Amino acid sequence: MKGIRSLSNFSRRLYAAQAAPKLDAAAFSAQEVQVTKLPSGLVIASLENYSPASRIGVFVKAGCRYETADNQGVTHLLRLAANLTTKGASAFKICRGVEAVGGSLSVTSSRENMIYTVDCLRDHIDTVMEYLINVTTAPEFRPWEVADLTPRVMVDKAMAEQKPQIGVIESLHAAAYKSSLSNSLYCPDYMVGQISSEQMHSFVQNNFTSSRMALIGLGVDHSVLRQVGEQFLNIRGGAGAAGKKAQYRGGEVRLLNRDELVHAAVVSESAAVGSAEAAAFSVLQRVLGAGPYIKRGANTTSKLSQAIATATTHPFGASAFNVSYSDSGLFGVYTIAQAASAADVIKVALGQVKSVAQGDLTAADLTRAKNQVKADYLMSLESSDGMLEDMGSQALAGGTYQPPEAVAQGIDSVSSNDVINAAKKFVEGKKTMASKGQLAKMPFVDEL
Amino acid sequence: MATRTPAATGRLLLGVRKWYYNAAGFNKLGLMYDDTIYEDSDVKEALRRLPEPVYNERVFRIKRALDLSMKQAILPKDQWTKYEEDVRYLSPYLKEVIRERKEKEEWQKK
Repeated sequence: MKGIRSLSNFSRRLYAAQAAPKLDAAAFSAQEVQVTKLPSGLVIASLENYSPASRIGVFVKAGCRYETADNQGVTHLLRLAANLTTKGASAFKICRGVEAVGGSLSVTSSRENMIYTVDCLRDHIDTVMEYLINVTTAPEFRPWEVADLTPRVMVDKAMAEQKPQIGVIESLHAAAYKSSLSNSLYCPDYMVGQISSEQMHSFVQNNFTSSRMALIGLGVDHSVLRQVGEQFLNIRGGAGAAGKKAQYRGGEVRLLNRDELVHAAVVSESAAVGSAEAAAFSVLQRVLGAGPYIKRGANTTSKLSQAIATATTHPFGASAFNVSYSDSGLFGVYTIAQAASAADVIKVALGQVKSVAQGDLTAADLTRAKNQVKADYLMSLESSDGMLEDMGSQALAGGTYQPPEAVAQGIDSVSSNDVINAAKKFVEGKKTMASKGQLAKMPFVDEL
Repeated sequence: MATRTPAATGRLLLGVRKWYYNAAGFNKLGLMYDDTIYEDSDVKEALRRLPEPVYNERVFRIKRALDLSMKQAILPKDQWTKYEEDVRYLSPYLKEVIRERKEKEEWQKK
């Protein structure tokens, strides 16, 4: 019996002795990002990376900047409402269905975009994509399910409260802009439990239109994705409700509490994403120092840290702060320091930006900064998260994809004059400040 | 949903239904049919989902009925719930709750 069994396995048993099958190299040649823009305005971008795990994202221009005065906080609720009952699948089915194939469905939202993402093994794309389409195009927002989200909104807010950075950056935006970008990523207190299912429906109706969506895939066939986009993501045409343009105003928000560590950010308006000026600002950010590159290192390449270390013996953290949006941006410094020395720290940090504005910029610093910007960008593309995010935001912004080489070229072309001008723009611009902690000794924005 | 008279129902059957409805008697306490369903876990979930005004009206009818029942009285005849006015306000919610429960049970069996 034993002999027969081993005979029947004969072909399998000599497996190790066989020559490895040759991979057909042509079938696995490196692929470019493919982008298609449908007549409805929907942008479809995909990259076939031959990974066994696929990742598909629906990007929608419906971040919190599109909230109006009446529906503040609706995007926070939408972020939590991704697993609610839709017209095609119940909440239970979405949850269990995604679970059963080992996938995951997640939602993130920024000030500009809402991003619905699914991860799954390549074989299960169809199943998981069905849920993704349902969630983004056919939500029901049943009133009782929406009401059940209130405790989760509260938990989110309570957790955000634990991180001073979030509070500082949210207030910074609130102080910096008149509308749109001043909206918080979190539901304001007075709207917790007040957002109705109708408000959510009308927000989706006005903002989730084909021309404001992008369907992005990693590890999927472009034609498959295109077919899905043509068939299912064309529910609502038109441009939807136009968002307000960001208007910079400048101002100050001081959040007092008993924290020993004082967080503070001072910024002024910078440039919109994609512009040459924005590249100069990101180089300037690295010139000043955007955070340590060596774990627990002294952070000596950071101009901010070098200068502050000579001014105070207290521990501190300082980095340049840089964000850009589709029509505006903020650049400045972010410092964390002991309450007693916080004023010195932020003043010295600002002094460093001023000295760059006066032309104190060596060629070595500029090269280092450019290398850091390029490395950061290219490293972010290595992860599927970063790649998807980059493809999605580019597709939504311009309907195209700029290959990394072009982006790197844009960074290389930044001259030392550009960086100095960017620093000048910050120094001369109207300042916005947000601070949190024991602020008794903290100067006000007009005293800096 | 407003009245339970499908167009095809014969007049005789309708007559029988009306007679039975009045014979059951809960309408004399001002209740509707959906007020009388036994509150199991499905019904409790469906009640949670009712819009607030509808839920409040239900509570009012039930309280009035309890009060009447304690006093061994019935409403004046003009205030009885009429067969035609009996709205099945709960059943769409209840059907949905049961469907969801069945879906879960089916999934467990797989």
